[in-house]
Amino acid sequence: MATTIKRVEIESRRELSELMRDQFLSLDAAARDSQRKVAWCTSVGPCEILSAMGFEVYFPENHGALLGARRLSHEFIPRAVSIGYGAESCSYMNSDIGSTLMGHSPLQDVFGIAGPPKPDLLVYSTNQCREVQDWWSFYGQRDGAPVMGVCPPTHLGEVTPEQVAFVRGQLEQLIERIEQQFSLKLDYDRLREVVTLSSRASTLWRQVLDTATAHPAALSFFDGVIHMAPVILMRGTQKAIDYYETLLNELNRRVEKGTGAVPDELHRIYWEGMPIWPKLRELSEKFYDLRAIVAASTYCNSWAFDEFDGDDPLEWMARTSIEIFINRDEPVKQRFLIEMFDKFAIDGVIFHNARTCPNNTNSRFGMSERLREELSIPVLVIDGDLSDVRFFSTAQTMTNIEAFIEQIEELQR
Amino acid sequence: MSEALYVGVDVGSSATKCVIIDETATLVGHHVNHSGFDYADAVDMSIRRALRQAEGTLEDITRCVATGYGREHVKMADRQVTEITCHARGAREWYPQVRTIIDIGGQDTKVIRLSEEGRMVDYRMNAKCAAGTGTFLESTAFKLGLSLSALDELAMASSEQAVLNSYCTVFAGTEVIERIKAGQRREDISMGLFRSIAARISEMLSARSDAVAVTGGVAAHCRAMVKALEEMLETEVWLPPMPQHAGAYGAALLAASQEDTQRRSTSHVTHR
Repeated sequence: MATTIKRVEIESRRELSELMRDQFLSLDAAARDSQRKVAWCTSVGPCEILSAMGFEVYFPENHGALLGARRLSHEFIPRAVSIGYGAESCSYMNSDIGSTLMGHSPLQDVFGIAGPPKPDLLVYSTNQCREVQDWWSFYGQRDGAPVMGVCPPTHLGEVTPEQVAFVRGQLEQLIERIEQQFSLKLDYDRLREVVTLSSRASTLWRQVLDTATAHPAALSFFDGVIHMAPVILMRGTQKAIDYYETLLNELNRRVEKGTGAVPDELHRIYWEGMPIWPKLRELSEKFYDLRAIVAASTYCNSWAFDEFDGDDPLEWMARTSIEIFINRDEPVKQRFLIEMFDKFAIDGVIFHNARTCPNNTNSRFGMSERLREELSIPVLVIDGDLSDVRFFSTAQTMTNIEAFIEQIEELQR
Repeated sequence: MSEALYVGVDVGSSATKCVIIDETATLVGHHVNHSGFDYADAVDMSIRRALRQAEGTLEDITRCVATGYGREHVKMADRQVTEITCHARGAREWYPQVRTIIDIGGQDTKVIRLSEEGRMVDYRMNAKCAAGTGTFLESTAFKLGLSLSALDELAMASSEQAVLNSYCTVFAGTEVIERIKAGQRREDISMGLFRSIAARISEMLSARSDAVAVTGGVAAHCRAMVKALEEMLETEVWLPPMPQHAGAYGAALLAASQEDTQRRSTSHVTHR
């Protein structure tokens, strides 16, 4: 007899849809208003400076994810490859550039706007990867907009005051260049306000993710990658805070009632690496069928920063930008993962080996094996990509995941 | 015949295998046929032929476990289990002391590691490409105008330690042509293909073991594959009596196991 499981949807998602619509309509309006300026920024870049200086901030990596989630990347990537971008270079970059060259964006269908807003300024930080520098340069040349960036030290062990001061210095130089280019003056009190809002949203986001420590977990990785949008795209705004307060209330009610994102969860999984955007739904349903909750991930936690103490906003920005997981060395990453497995009571770990994202893939230098040996925890490495579905085999991956759960069950028996 | 029968069906990318065991876990029927275009048809034929050998009827089937890539096409299945678990179970029945099982299938290759108690502690599957799989051999043999068995015959007559360096099926084809041009013996080139697969498999072994068994269609039909693995792993590799049926056999054993009946079925979940 068939068992029917009713999925409990997160009600706040409706509010999120409205927020996203407002965000993109506002960006579109700004791009068409000569009095307003649009700045593009990397996802863990110095967006607070840009907001404090009055720019509307747009995050192109979100567009890369959207192209992947709408299963459009493979249509656009060949166009970027044809003008010299490597077929195995970042699929966010390739699909975004390809979509621009081909004049089609899912933003047209989703929000009814022409596409990504044209930039007046492009700002990057290479704290996550160097690819963003080249990605932004394409648009800088095409649109005649200045490209400016911060290049922090990478692969850090312990973060030292000298490293933070070095990045802080780069942020000061960035501010000077923007002030000169656009005849603006940064109001440091306004920057402190924006950073305070940014930090508050980030703290709430961490609390949202921590509701998955409950048994059953109140939300899954697959919910997280949807609901993380405000902490990236609306950082430094009150609306992000308001949204996460609403979401946190709803999830806390779930915890009180014992409502799980996966009812009757049996197994708790950790996801290390990028989401596989084109296959999110299928993967979510597969874990759901197997009564397995992907309770935590490195990816969603990448925007959960330490709190701002109200003192020096540039110091906070510098420190948080280099303290992030992706910018750390192997021992720090490994310690972080072990803490996360313990915190979320993880039964098994899945590493996503993303073909075009070596920087956010952590199974290539033996870490998966070290964790397996050290913790005696089942570990699975799956091959795929964040956006380019051509690097993903559905049948093989689904068999791999089912076998992984069978392995966990066998070990628990 | 009216005793209870337990059926395991392994619907692979190339072949569909069925094994039937009775209440004493004795193998009483088996069959293998091409999976072809219509998996449901292939499953039907496989079960009926195996049943005929077992002298049983559909009504005698107490429980059925389906495995393999096309496992959802086995409508009579009480449960679906991955081929990884099934091959491990089947091989363990033949060799209780086995620690490493290498299953070389048409579409992929798996390496499964068992604990001393026979529990699956680790497994690896090849990456998405065809390197290291039966498809790699079939496509290269096809390019050379040979059947798989002819390729195996040639390889077994090899006298040189030739290895193909290419991972990729397409590049391996090119490398074969280069070697032919260079005057290398066809026997040695053929053996090189099997060594290339063995080299790929050795990368999937997280721990070395002297208790290794190989299953799957390639091992069933190619002695050169076993030889290449033994050379690469520097140990004897056990070839079970019915290597191609190991997954179906494991599925039948799981169908018969009392423990298995108490476990949940994931195949019956529907979404709303």
